Amino acid sequence: MTRRKFIRRLIKASSVIVVGISWLAKNTTPRKFVRAFRVKKYPGPLKPLRNISKQSKWSG
Amino acid sequence: MKVQCELCPKMCLIGPGQSGECRVRINIDGVLRTVVYGYPCSINIDPIEKKPLYHFLPGTPILSIATVGCNLHCKNCQNWEISQANPEDGNISAYFVPPERLVSLTKRNNCPSLAYTYTDPIVYYEYTYDTAKLARSAGIRNVLVTAGYINEQPWKELLKYVDAANIDLKGISDDFYRQVCSGTLKPVQNAMVLAKASGILVEVTNLIIPTLNDKPEQIRELARWIKVNLGGETPLHFSGFYPRYKMRNLPPTSLNTLEMARQIAMGEGLDYVYIGNLRSKQGENTYCPGCKVLLIERSGYTILKNQLKDGCCPDCGKEIYGVWK
Repeated sequence: MTRRKFIRRLIKASSVIVVGISWLAKNTTPRKFVRAFRVKKYPGPLKPLRNISKQSKWSG
Repeated sequence: MKVQCELCPKMCLIGPGQSGECRVRINIDGVLRTVVYGYPCSINIDPIEKKPLYHFLPGTPILSIATVGCNLHCKNCQNWEISQANPEDGNISAYFVPPERLVSLTKRNNCPSLAYTYTDPIVYYEYTYDTAKLARSAGIRNVLVTAGYINEQPWKELLKYVDAANIDLKGISDDFYRQVCSGTLKPVQNAMVLAKASGILVEVTNLIIPTLNDKPEQIRELARWIKVNLGGETPLHFSGFYPRYKMRNLPPTSLNTLEMARQIAMGEGLDYVYIGNLRSKQGENTYCPGCKVLLIERSGYTILKNQLKDGCCPDCGKEIYGVWK
């Protein structure tokens, strides 16, 4: 084998390894949680903020 | 195009124009959107004991918020009017309070902490997260009152900005979660372990429902699980059930049952076991697990006496689990 052929094979093998490793890394790490975006307008009725110092009627 | 919401273990695959099970995370043109960001339906200042949190800044007021929606559908939900509401139905009105305004309201009302509560902060995750981050930088502590039905990755992210949590452990069997709550047990247990491991203060609430989760062996198993996985110092609140929502056929929990549960849990090695929703003299107070002396005397949400000295028992010096200042 000539030196040129050897270098070509080496480059080919290395690129296969790099592609393989990056594919593995991409597919085995858990997907990052994607946040939901806000909406421009609330779909329900709105009311003005009133006195908040009163204890809530809800549990918790 | 469908989108998948990866926030909670339900992993809803949402079609265009549809919402997930929580009713507030919607697919609009192939993009997952939250309709409740900045729109709480309830803002009130409560005593922190109402959450209930007994080992976190006792006797202080806490600004408490909720939006509509929940990812669970417990048949016994006490707040079902808001947790099971759909914002589009128009039955529940909301306020417009972006995170910055919420933080300034908390400061203006001299509340040292902010609670994300009443429904479940998990379904208004982005609003909770952004507000908590902002509140932390303003010196305000963040408290979650949650069922803990969330996936690991978003939970870990949120915990970075949380100081304390009361997490519901609704039962100790997967069947109970499936039949009563439309959820599963494992993710909740996982969330509890992660919360405790993250270093935040964790208290646990278990609502005892007659005939469904009130057997002594069920209570013993639940207490053992807490002791082994969260530690004996984790406060446990046994709460009384009242007939509500889709479970009006069962009677309220008796004080006897709650006191029996408290005895069992303490016998299993839990140091702080409380009774809630019903008045119980001993079940409201905090006692030193070392020398049994009364440390904090409560009556309902009121602190009658707090004898702690720098978070320790004044008699034997034992350090008491909690955040006291």
